Amino acid sequence: MKKLQSNILNMALVLTLIAVVAAGLLAWVNNVTSGPIEEINNLAIENGIKSVILGDRDIQFTVDDPVEQDGFVFHGVNDMNGNLIGTAVESTDRNGFGGALKVMVGFNPEGVILGYTVLEHSETPGLGAQADDWFRQSSAEAAEQSGIVNVLLGAPGKPGNHNIIGMNPGDDIMTVSKDGGDVDAITASTITSRAFLRAVNNAYKAVFGYTAADGVSGASSQN
Amino acid sequence: MNYFKTIINGIVKENPTFVLLLGMCPTLATTTSAINGLGMGVATMFVLICSNTFISLLKNLIPDGVRIPCYIVVIASFVTLLQMLMQAYVPDLYKTLGIFIPLIVVNCIILGRAEAFAAKNNVLASICDGIGIGIGFTLALTILGFVRELLGNGAVFGYRILPESMNMLVFVLAPGAFITLGLLMAIVNSIKNRKA
Repeated sequence: MKKLQSNILNMALVLTLIAVVAAGLLAWVNNVTSGPIEEINNLAIENGIKSVILGDRDIQFTVDDPVEQDGFVFHGVNDMNGNLIGTAVESTDRNGFGGALKVMVGFNPEGVILGYTVLEHSETPGLGAQADDWFRQSSAEAAEQSGIVNVLLGAPGKPGNHNIIGMNPGDDIMTVSKDGGDVDAITASTITSRAFLRAVNNAYKAVFGYTAADGVSGASSQN
Repeated sequence: MNYFKTIINGIVKENPTFVLLLGMCPTLATTTSAINGLGMGVATMFVLICSNTFISLLKNLIPDGVRIPCYIVVIASFVTLLQMLMQAYVPDLYKTLGIFIPLIVVNCIILGRAEAFAAKNNVLASICDGIGIGIGFTLALTILGFVRELLGNGAVFGYRILPESMNMLVFVLAPGAFITLGLLMAIVNSIKNRKA
């Protein structure tokens, strides 16, 4: 076949044809993949709720329908008797090192942090990206992971406290130690650490802050 | 045309990163760790092979006057396709590479090979060229990621080897990408010159 000439009719026809075929193909693939993608996203939320509220505990629970408010998403979690065990909150901070940082934090009805998970981030791999582990590690665990050579030399890991599990943002000062707080920032990732702690504090305020006068009722009012 | 030669040509003589210096933007941005470099390379290779195949098939149908828009439509379609498929079936890899996948559209290696090779050669040769250039790109990105991860983060494919206190942070950040790339290119060139 000879190459088509570049006259206006040929050019318009071919480009339109290619665009239409491409659009059709994409529409079809989108149709096929949208189901699995939604399933994966739902599963991620469900697993997130389970891990931030229950941790390793294995008990039956039910999750209320999510409530969206001011950019936060609340998931109330109840045990089988209908008593509130905790609230999982999706919270986003837009000022991470690489962009938005989205976390899910679980609070018990008193406001103590039960667990957290990082849902979305674009932090530097190996640095800010450690946020998913860093804020639940005791310093002993952190030392253990600091490398084969370190262990061989018997060099101690960096001391300090960056485990936020069990802290209560209402009582503890949850900012990085550089800013006078109680939490050690990720090494060389202060911006990520600040963004992460802001997201956690905002989540706490979203659940408990609006009705801070009477302490815990904020959590129950979500349900 | 010797097909095997075409593949080797893409890996060594016309290595897109070290020799042609094409696609520097994803090269510098994604190679913060070896696994990211590898993933980005494989994703790019997929798009490159697909786009080379189709552009070679359509080369007589596409009038010269609109060839660039046509190529871009073909390339962008494959990238979007890849993005949706990855999101649905390999969510873990997608989570690591997600933000870089759309960048493949503007990767000039792909448009460059479409223009320089696929538009002038038959389908089989174009596929071979896609494979060769793809492997060359993947290899280069993996090596770059490996070096940067090891020096900057003390780890190899995520496994920590050196203690944290020995990390040279700069290698994970943007300047380290330029330094590493420059040094690796110097090494590749010096090996090539010795052979010649």
